[in-house]
Amino acid sequence: MSEPILQLNDVKTHFPITRGFLVKRHIGTVKAVDGVNLTVRRGEVLGLVGESGCGKSTLARTILQLVPTTGGTVVLNGRNLATSSARELLAARRDLQMVFQDPYASLNPRMTVFATLAEPLLVHRVCAPADVAARVAELMRLVGLAPRFMQKYPHEFSGGQRQRIAIARALALEPKVIVADEPVSALDVSIQAQILNLLAQLTKKMNLTLIFIAHDLSVVKHISDRVAVMYLGKIVELGLAADVIERPRHPYTRALVSAIPTPNPDTERTRQRIVLAGDPPSPINPPAGCAFHPRCAYAQAQCKLAAPPLVDDGPTREVACVRLADLP
Amino acid sequence: MSPTTLPSAVVTPEQIETGNSLWHDAWSRLRKNRLAVCGGATLLVLALLCAFGPFFTQSYQDQNLDLGASGPSAAHWLGTDTLGRDLFSRILFGGRISMMVGLVATFVALAIGVTYGAVAGFFGGKIDAVMMRIVDIMYALPFTIFVILLMVFFGRNIFLLFFAIGAVEWLTMARIVRGQIISIKKMEYIEAARALGLGKRRIIFRHMIPNILGPIIVYTTLTIPAVMLLEAFLSFLGLGVQPPMSSWGVLIKDGAEKMEEFWWLLVFPGGVFSLTLFSLNFLGDGLRDALDVRSSKD
Repeated sequence: MSEPILQLNDVKTHFPITRGFLVKRHIGTVKAVDGVNLTVRRGEVLGLVGESGCGKSTLARTILQLVPTTGGTVVLNGRNLATSSARELLAARRDLQMVFQDPYASLNPRMTVFATLAEPLLVHRVCAPADVAARVAELMRLVGLAPRFMQKYPHEFSGGQRQRIAIARALALEPKVIVADEPVSALDVSIQAQILNLLAQLTKKMNLTLIFIAHDLSVVKHISDRVAVMYLGKIVELGLAADVIERPRHPYTRALVSAIPTPNPDTERTRQRIVLAGDPPSPINPPAGCAFHPRCAYAQAQCKLAAPPLVDDGPTREVACVRLADLP
Repeated sequence: MSPTTLPSAVVTPEQIETGNSLWHDAWSRLRKNRLAVCGGATLLVLALLCAFGPFFTQSYQDQNLDLGASGPSAAHWLGTDTLGRDLFSRILFGGRISMMVGLVATFVALAIGVTYGAVAGFFGGKIDAVMMRIVDIMYALPFTIFVILLMVFFGRNIFLLFFAIGAVEWLTMARIVRGQIISIKKMEYIEAARALGLGKRRIIFRHMIPNILGPIIVYTTLTIPAVMLLEAFLSFLGLGVQPPMSSWGVLIKDGAEKMEEFWWLLVFPGGVFSLTLFSLNFLGDGLRDALDVRSSKD
């Protein structure tokens, strides 16, 4: 195993809810990310899954320091980004970039591809102004776009092409870590595979570390080395991609995995779905103890007492469930 | 800092295809709007007439007291006023002042309003609250008293007039820009710009303001007539342009006083002024439609 490049220790991102004019009253807190521990190793692809509203995107934005961290540390290459000065953070951004979900919203509509890709190069003084054009052309080729389109505007491209531009922008600074926040969920199914393959290819070629966020396990399975499952601001299961998907341990992961359709009609007919009752609880007012207990088939009184920590379950697996030993 | 050089050496075999910017699309839509094009053309003709006309016509201030007020004739196309001054040249000359007020004061309003609104909207929170309360307070100040005070303290000065009008008109612009900035602040391309580590100033001026230019331009075309009306109002009160200079506001005021005997003194300046306002409004309307993102290709 290679060395850790990004470490999250008890990361919390809370958003206060205030009401009132002039004098703000604090009436609650949205605990979007609530105590995430995660170590990402150099060169791996880590899939991060969870349903809508579980804090995946907030975690991504916390890693990038686009939202203020409430607690914990985000350590990239030994430097805690949560307490870094603006100057240190600027330097760290060269190593840490993000690909956003919606390629229709993530590109400035008033800037040509060239302007979009040249901007990070010039701002970070990565290359001399005379070499910018060559570098932009190189980046475009890298993501499979013809450089002759560099003077075109985003609205003249398809969704898949736009996402390629967004990937090229993230790669412009030659980062070590890329966080991709559901990079294919806004695309047509036929295009999704292309973008996934491009990401997988680039990760290998450039020795990138990729944190790949999705709400679709089959997409994650295709690309990831390891998978982390999030539920209501916490990671509930972490392990090798194949293990987690073939033999899920946490009751929530089991329900998620059971929802993956199989391509074989015979097995699909007999597939047992675990249907969770109710809705995910509100992150403003999460249930006491394990946040999953109101929907969990195995919940007992002890589940309501304290939130279970992530504990080792074998050498490569961590699960947050107090009843792990009793589960079938 | 914007790189504009075409990287021809890099992409030798292929020819670089230039794209249609959103401006290009907006322009082609605007051209199809006949009313807006007519408005723009009328404005252009009026502006050229006012700019260069006074060099060729009779003097705007030479009096001919023997003639007095006379109706339209071959010598004086639009007649003369009570002091025997040629109305046509007075309208053209007054147009210079009115248009200059319109442009300069609007530019002042634009510069202050856009920057102020963008800063308030971008930073949000307490900064925004304080800045916008200041705007609220300024809104509450009676404009006429503000201008009268300025005129009393600094004397009657046409540039002061420009400044005074601009200093009042920026308030609405600031509110509009703030609202627009807040609405695009959470867009992913702004987050992407922050993730790239771009500076705040660069994000505001390169990424945000270009994307809200549509509403800004439209509101600008609405501000110009408002500003011209304000100048007319101030001149009407005797606080604006002083004789023998004229502006459309002054001419309309004089005409209104004498309209029962000498109709042309009101009808012609009023007509030209209305024509300008109509043209500006049609052009603004057309621009609003042309710049509307929803009507763009995707």
